[in-house]
Amino acid sequence: MSQPPVADGVLDVVLVDDHLMFRAGVKASLDGRIRIVGEADDVPSAIEAVRRLQPPVVILDVHLPGGDGGGGAEVIHRCADLLGTTRFLALSVSDAAEDVVAVIRAGARGYVTKAISGQDLSDAARRVAGGDAVFSPRLAGFVLDAFGAAAGDVATGDDELDRLSAREREVMRLIARGYSYREVASELFISIKTVETHVSAVLRKLQLSSRHELTRWAAARRLL
Amino acid sequence: MPGAPGAPVRLPLRRPTRGRWVGGVCTGLAIHLGAPVAVVRALFVLLTLIGAVGVGLYVFFWVTVPVGDPAAVAAQERPAALTRIAPRLRAPDRKVPLTDIGLGLLLLVAAGLLVAVRAGARVDYSWVVPTLILLVGTGLAWSQLDAVQRDRWLSVAGGRTPVSVIRLAGGLVLVGLGVVLLVGQREPIDALVRSAVAALAVLVGVALVLAPWWLRLVRELGDERAARARESERADIAAHLHDSVLQTLALIRARAGDADDVARLARAQERELRAWLYDERTTAGTSLAAELRDVVAEVEDRFAVAVETVVVGDCVPENGAEALLQATREALLNAARHGRPPLSLYLECTPDQVEVFVRDRGDGFDLDEVPADRFGVRESIVGRMRRRGGTATVRSRPGQGTEVHLCLPRNPRTHDEGTPR
Repeated sequence: MSQPPVADGVLDVVLVDDHLMFRAGVKASLDGRIRIVGEADDVPSAIEAVRRLQPPVVILDVHLPGGDGGGGAEVIHRCADLLGTTRFLALSVSDAAEDVVAVIRAGARGYVTKAISGQDLSDAARRVAGGDAVFSPRLAGFVLDAFGAAAGDVATGDDELDRLSAREREVMRLIARGYSYREVASELFISIKTVETHVSAVLRKLQLSSRHELTRWAAARRLL
Repeated sequence: MPGAPGAPVRLPLRRPTRGRWVGGVCTGLAIHLGAPVAVVRALFVLLTLIGAVGVGLYVFFWVTVPVGDPAAVAAQERPAALTRIAPRLRAPDRKVPLTDIGLGLLLLVAAGLLVAVRAGARVDYSWVVPTLILLVGTGLAWSQLDAVQRDRWLSVAGGRTPVSVIRLAGGLVLVGLGVVLLVGQREPIDALVRSAVAALAVLVGVALVLAPWWLRLVRELGDERAARARESERADIAAHLHDSVLQTLALIRARAGDADDVARLARAQERELRAWLYDERTTAGTSLAAELRDVVAEVEDRFAVAVETVVVGDCVPENGAEALLQATREALLNAARHGRPPLSLYLECTPDQVEVFVRDRGDGFDLDEVPADRFGVRESIVGRMRRRGGTATVRSRPGQGTEVHLCLPRNPRTHDEGTPR
């Protein structure tokens, strides 16, 4: 299952966004080791392109027209059987937590805003392709909020899905404060690999947790 | 974020279509009360064991509580000026009411069996089952009261939609069967002695069936009025947006030569538009986060920088909040003046304290080397926080930027409604 997603150093990516200008801008700004193999501009065409090309990474806009109105989350839902080999990186202009968490819970491995630089987006795509999670400061803030971590509600066991561990909370707080993975690592005296492990663990909790506040919060916004 | 701290959002009582087992009563109650669905269901089962109270209650709620998505209803009840305008992502809906179809089929089969039994051997309990069928058939017809009006494919021509027609027809057939079976109890099937009575009974049944339809029409009228009111509110907002955007564009055109001005205008407009589209707004004076965003907006406009703002939790601004905001503003100004973008701002409200982190990616500086007469950091940040019982620490390392950490303990009196541990 762990076939190298990056063959000959170039990562194949499908780009989904409903604005032609934005797609052109992204294409021009990505670095040379990312290759756009397909594009789509609404939900049905995105599903079709992803199924046909089965790329290692899909850069996916959260707000997409078409389909049942589920936007990016719907695309991921309909391609759920490909999640083992195809990773989704969500891209949004809105930065509203409810939109972001909808795509994350659907199965996206990361989330970035459209203000991101081309270099950072390329790095994020590679990180997602390697199986890691990409958290923006805003998403980290949402996670802290939704898991009640700010109120000191901290997990004691490793296998708890509904609370963050003390270390995960520390990592999330630093990311929310604008620290890069590298800076988080040096701040906490741990390796970057360990930071990535923590972030992936948080992503898993965010996707799988049935934490009461989280489900209630999501239900209130029709995400479940 | 959902609501002000300490004030849990109570969603209105509706019977959601998703997650329901029978009529969505338990699910709706659970969402309304914020209790786990399993507990509510167990309670109803328990109540049913005690003299069938649970069933009665369930039927009562089924008939009286309208169907709807609690969250959607809550969103519609918020003043339009405070809600976000961009549509929310919709989770995939179950299109076919499988429970209803299953229930209806079951009933029809039972009715058919009964007819067969009547044609053949006569069973003693035959009057119990028809009564049940009659009741359930009536229930089915009444249940069209709840047909979700806002569903796209249901909103065709005054409720004359496939589902409600099928419901009505099914209900009619069942009621008719029940009545014939009941009335013709001791008679052979061909006996027409009581046909008049039977016809009358059928008519009563029909009236019973049609009543909810009429009721529904009345209710729809009210809904339509509410929808019109909402529509006009939305139009107001659209007009407002239109004006602000158009005005900014006109300004930009007028100053097309001045790149700084254009960038500033565009940024301010983008921020406003984004807030209108994607954020739920709060009423003034109830949210520290909202006031912090105002501070950020001021700094962004003045220095033409972007500040990545992350807020965790929120609280009503209380004693010392003003000082905290002023100190934050000062820290942001320093970061914009001396640091390099991107600037990051992090606010965290917990029951015990409010923390703010302001970070830039500049060269950093040595705090000890700042002359004592420089007012900026010492007085307007550290001193201001100390006077309010808070702390301020500045951490700056050459090459790694500067981070200002502000911490303000919260008034102990206001703790009681904080998040439970």
